[in-house]
Amino acid sequence: MMNTQLNEVTVSPTLVKKPVKKRHWNLSPYLYIGPHLILFLIFFLAPTIYGIYISFTNWDLVNKADFVGLANYKEILFNHESTFYDQLHTGLFNTFKFVLFTVPACVVVPLLLAAGLHAKPVGKNIFQALFYAPTLISVSAVMIIWSMLFNVTYGPITSYFHTETNWVGVQPYAWITLVIVTVWWCIGGNMVIYQAALNGISKDLYEAASIDGAGSIQKFFKITLPSMKNQLLYRIVITTVAQFNVYGQPLMLTKGGPTSTTTVLLMYIRGNAFGTGQSIAGIASAMAVILGLCIMVVAAIQFFFLRERN
Amino acid sequence: MKKRLSAILSLLLVFGLIFALSGCSSSSSSSTSNSKEIVFWNPFTGPDGKNMQNMIDAYNKTKPEYKVKNISLKEADMYAKIPTVVNSGKNIPDLTIVHAERIKQFVAQGMLTPYDGYLSDFPEIKAENYIKAGWDIGDLDGKRYSVPLDVHSYVMYYNKKLVEKYAPHALDDNIVTFDEIRAAGEQSMKDGIRPITLSWMKPIFLSIYNQMGGDITSDGEKPTLYTDTAVKAMEFIKSFVDDKLTNKDGEDATQLFKSGKVIFEPEGIWMQNTMNEVKNLDWGLTNFPQISTDKVVNWSSSHQFVLFNSKARDKKKTEGVVKFIDWVRQNSIYWAEAGQNPAALATLENDKYQSLPQSFLIKDPNEQKTLKIFDYKYNGYVADEIDKIGFDSIFGKIKIEDALKKSQKTIEDKIAQDSHK
Repeated sequence: MMNTQLNEVTVSPTLVKKPVKKRHWNLSPYLYIGPHLILFLIFFLAPTIYGIYISFTNWDLVNKADFVGLANYKEILFNHESTFYDQLHTGLFNTFKFVLFTVPACVVVPLLLAAGLHAKPVGKNIFQALFYAPTLISVSAVMIIWSMLFNVTYGPITSYFHTETNWVGVQPYAWITLVIVTVWWCIGGNMVIYQAALNGISKDLYEAASIDGAGSIQKFFKITLPSMKNQLLYRIVITTVAQFNVYGQPLMLTKGGPTSTTTVLLMYIRGNAFGTGQSIAGIASAMAVILGLCIMVVAAIQFFFLRERN
Repeated sequence: MKKRLSAILSLLLVFGLIFALSGCSSSSSSSTSNSKEIVFWNPFTGPDGKNMQNMIDAYNKTKPEYKVKNISLKEADMYAKIPTVVNSGKNIPDLTIVHAERIKQFVAQGMLTPYDGYLSDFPEIKAENYIKAGWDIGDLDGKRYSVPLDVHSYVMYYNKKLVEKYAPHALDDNIVTFDEIRAAGEQSMKDGIRPITLSWMKPIFLSIYNQMGGDITSDGEKPTLYTDTAVKAMEFIKSFVDDKLTNKDGEDATQLFKSGKVIFEPEGIWMQNTMNEVKNLDWGLTNFPQISTDKVVNWSSSHQFVLFNSKARDKKKTEGVVKFIDWVRQNSIYWAEAGQNPAALATLENDKYQSLPQSFLIKDPNEQKTLKIFDYKYNGYVADEIDKIGFDSIFGKIKIEDALKKSQKTIEDKIAQDSHK
């Protein structure tokens, strides 16, 4: 037992010959992350800090920004009479709704598809390509395609299924179309991560479980999911953050309607900052900061509940 | 040694990439004071972009001292870029086309250079040679801030065959009234033909509001969207939906017209090329429908040439710009071919223009008087609101009074944020 100390002292003869450097600074990691770090600083961090500064000003994007302290935040958070208070609350409410409706589906559906593909059925590669392809299409193209599909006058869904539904103009169908389109579009991204995770699970675990008499559902919940915990957590957080930033889908498909029930916060932010009239950049920035804080809080909660417990 | 070499090479690669990327800044929108090029920004990325390019090519062929470089940007992108570019002081376009309603806003923000001082060499750029509605826009604070390129109006297309069948006398005076449309509808709906479809609420509402005597501002400062007349105007439009004489919620107005299922469709003169895509559609152009022949209003906007403040554009170059504008005044037929109504009255002397459908609005001085441009300073806020509540109001998704009241409040709150009053 006393020997444990000695084990650390055992060194290989070759190491003894080389002089030991006091500070050995390894440059290569920085070379690898360097380009991205520089781009991150210029195109993400600096604008974010500048954006936070703007939220404390009254600015029309052209003339000098007037410093107004917390006035913008007071306006949107506490002034019940204000249009911008309305916008923040409606926008946040609709954004949260969107996240609640889409994130579970966006996490679970790709998982099921990945598990299905993992069983290597016939035509696996074709299916994989089909499921991944939507992710490659830009949001505008996706919205145009689905607008035409759901079109009341000449869309195929109305024609072939003989429905009278006004898909994008009436609730709850407006939400239904938004969720369907979003999930269809996002499947690919999550699916490939899950597939990689599934490939990393040792087959021995499954064999051992089979010997013990476990069924496939038991194997899925007791072996597959726990082994994928890190990737699942990562995808849940990323998907949530992405869906909080929703903008293109409600803008182009339902146009924020009917009666502002699908207008998300980013639409109000952009409308205030880059609308047809004078820009109200200070209020827009304040709303954006609030949205950012909400996302951070939600992500932190997710990390807390889904972390590795030692 | 190998490790160090590879480290140095990777470092070089990293910095090489960074400098290559920074050199990537597009030089297409740059403009130095030495270049003999007029950088010209405009929002004509649609089919009319080709006509603008033709016009500029023709000008450049006359071998002017300063040639024009045509840069068409998507409208939303262009208006988003303008504040950034003017703020930075670099790469400001020498000449820009903006919509008439935005000019008061740009002048209030101190972004425009007046033309005064440069027009003495070009005496034909004057009120008498342009459509009044377009020319008046640029007259602010006693200075001339813009020169009009065109005046484009929201009028009405009609299906010639269907008009013959259901409303044979409606076009006798070239003014179709809403009563005439209703009368036609009584017959046409039996055959499944709708008398009218509604595609864009903003100009439709504004024209009818103005026909009833209303306007979006009383004094140029305060908005007047929540008024009895406005409620009346919205309810008037809604009555066509309630009586099932127009498109239902979700239906595409223009698609229905192009399929030959509609007699009259209010739309802009700029939609002509789209209408021409359909074979077997014999269409005509007339005034926007009116409540009565006493007060005829055609909602209009206008593309205007403006000069954003730019140190890079010296006196000689500015003269080069005004020379181009004067040439456009005499050669606007290129622009008329895009379906537009050029603001320069010299175009009327061109036979080809006389034969184009949209010219009826300019040929008759009485028609010219019907062109109304809503150039209220805060027009942008009003436009955003009407676009938001327009269809929801007429399809009964929100109460009209509540919608207009909320819109009025929204516009007032936004104006209150404008600190440069």
